[in-house]
Amino acid sequence: MTSMPYSAPAPGSMPSLDVSGTAPVPLTRLVGVELRKSFDTRAGRAYSFTVLGLCALVMLVIALLVTGDFHDLENFLTAMGGTLSFFLPIIPILLVTQEFGQRTGLVTFALEPRRPRVVVAKLVAGLAITLGVMVVALLLSVVGGALSTVRGFDVDWSLGLSQLWSFVLATLIAVFIGFAIAMLVMNTAAAIVIYFVYSLILPTVVGFLSAFIDWFADLAPWIEFNTAQQPLFSGDYRPSVEEWGQILTAGILWLGVPLALGVWRLLRAEMK
Amino acid sequence: MISVENLTRAYGSFVAVDDVSFVAQPGRVTGFLGPNGAGKTTTMRVMVGLTPATHGRVTIGGRLYRDIPNPGRHVGTLLDASAQHKGRTGREILTLGATTMGLPRSRVDEMLHLVSLSDAEASRRLRNYSLGMMQRLGIAHALLGDPSVLILDEPANGLDPAGIRWMRDLLKGYAGRGGTVLLSSHLLHEVEVIADEMVLIGRGRIVAQGDKRSLLAGDGTQAAVTIVTSLDDRRLGEALQRAGHTVTMAPAGEPGIRIEADAETVGRAALDQQVVLTGMRSGAAGLEDMFLRLTSETQREGLPPGPPPPPAPPQATPATAPGAPR
Repeated sequence: MTSMPYSAPAPGSMPSLDVSGTAPVPLTRLVGVELRKSFDTRAGRAYSFTVLGLCALVMLVIALLVTGDFHDLENFLTAMGGTLSFFLPIIPILLVTQEFGQRTGLVTFALEPRRPRVVVAKLVAGLAITLGVMVVALLLSVVGGALSTVRGFDVDWSLGLSQLWSFVLATLIAVFIGFAIAMLVMNTAAAIVIYFVYSLILPTVVGFLSAFIDWFADLAPWIEFNTAQQPLFSGDYRPSVEEWGQILTAGILWLGVPLALGVWRLLRAEMK
Repeated sequence: MISVENLTRAYGSFVAVDDVSFVAQPGRVTGFLGPNGAGKTTTMRVMVGLTPATHGRVTIGGRLYRDIPNPGRHVGTLLDASAQHKGRTGREILTLGATTMGLPRSRVDEMLHLVSLSDAEASRRLRNYSLGMMQRLGIAHALLGDPSVLILDEPANGLDPAGIRWMRDLLKGYAGRGGTVLLSSHLLHEVEVIADEMVLIGRGRIVAQGDKRSLLAGDGTQAAVTIVTSLDDRRLGEALQRAGHTVTMAPAGEPGIRIEADAETVGRAALDQQVVLTGMRSGAAGLEDMFLRLTSETQREGLPPGPPPPPAPPQATPATAPGAPR
C-alpha cells in the first residue's frame, strides 16, 4: 500500500472537531437509502414482485375464470385491495426488523443517531413503495377490466372517489399496522406471524363470537379493527358517521397505541 | 479526541461499565484491552450513541456523538463486522454507507482498493465472506467518510498475520497524520504491536492506562530481574548472593540463573569473578504477566498458579470410538 486515498487531519487541528463544513444528513437521502434497502437483497426484491405477481394472478382469475357479475373495475380494485392489505405490510416489517435481525441497526443508527429521522425515513420509504404497488394494482385492475370486456362482459368502468379512497386507506392502514408490529417486536418472524394472527385469525374469532353472542356483535366493530374497516370494502364504500367512529376507536386501539409504543421502543432500544 | 468521562452503564444490578474515564489522543493509537466481557464493547457502543449511558458521558472532539452532523464523516466506527445484511454484497454495503454520508460512488471503489478486496470479492454476498474479508469490509466502511476519529472493536479479529500487519501499518499511518484511533482487543499481542497508549479494563473498571513503558514502570513490582547463562553459574550465583541479591534457578525449561538485580550489577559480578557470560536477558515480567495479573479477578479461568500443564500426550485414535454408532 503505497498511497492512501484519504487524508487524516493535520496535527493541531484537533482535539475539537470542526463540524462547521458538515451539513446534517438530509431526510431525502435517508429515504433514498431506505428505499434502496428494500430492493437490494434477493429476498426484498423477490417479495415485492411476488406481491405484484399475486395481484396479477387474482386479476387473471377474475377476468378469465369468474362467471357472473364481478367484472366491474371496482370489483377488480376490491380484490386487489384485499390481496395488498394481506401481503404489502410485510415490506415495512422487513424494513424495520432487518435492523435487528441482521443487526444492520448498528450501522444505520451510528450513521444517523437521531433515530426519529430514521423512523420517519422508513415510514416514508414504506409508504412510497406502497403507493407504487397500489398504482400498479390499479393498472392491473384496468387490464383485468379490458380482458373481461374481451370475454364479453359488460364492464362498468366508473370509479367513485370513495372507492378509490377506501382502497388507499385500507392499504395504508395495513402498512402502518405492519410498521407498528415490527417496531414493537423487532423480530421478522414474530412480526409476520403476529400480523397474520391480527389480519386472519382475529376477525374469524370475532366473527364466530359475534354469531353467538348478541352483545358482542354490537361491541365487535368498536374494538376489532378488521371488523370496523368492513364498511370501507363493502356496500357503497361510504362508512356512516357511526362507522367512522368505530374505525376511529378500533384504530386507536389497534394502530394508534401499538404505533406509539413501537416508536417509543425503537427510539430507546439498545443496538446490540 | 475521544474523552470518556466517569462513564457507567448498568443493566439492573449488573454494572457492565463502572466509572470509566480515559482519553484517546489525536495522533496516537489507543488500545483498549481487556478480557471477554470486561465492558469494552459496551463502552464503545455508548461512544456512538447506540447504548445510553447510565451515568457520565463520552465526547468526541468536545461534542456528544448525537450532536455531530453527519457523524460518519467525522467518526469512523467498526463495532461488529458481521452486523450487516448477509444477503447484501460487500459493494452494496459500502454503497449504502456512502449514500447516507453523501459521498460519491467512486469513494466505494477507493475503499475497496484500500482494503484489498477485489471486484469479484466485492460483488459476493456477505454470507460468503470469510471472517477476514468481513473485517476488511468493516474497516473500509469505517474509513468511508474520511473521518478524523476511528473507533474499532476487535478489528484484528479474523485477520491473518499479513492482515494484522497491514492493519497495523494502516492505523499507524492514519494516526501519524493526526487521526485519533481507539481499538479494542482481548489479545495483548495484537494491541502491543499497534497501540501507542493502552487502557486496560477488567470487570467494567479501568485497571491501568498509559503507554507501554509507563505501564510497566508504574506497576511498582517491576524490580530489575536478569537471567544469565555463563560457563560457571554456581560461582557467579554465589558471588551475587554474597552481594545481597536474591538468586534462583532460571524459570522452568530454561538454562541459567535468575538474579534480582540489573544487568550492570550482574555483568560487574561476572567481571570480578572472571566468569564468562554466554547469555543475558531481562527477566522482568512482561506486559502479558501484568495484564493477566491486573485482570486476573475478572478472568473466567482465574489466574493459573504456574505455567499451564503440558498438553496431554497424543493418544492413538481408535478407528472407531467406543460406543459410537456404527
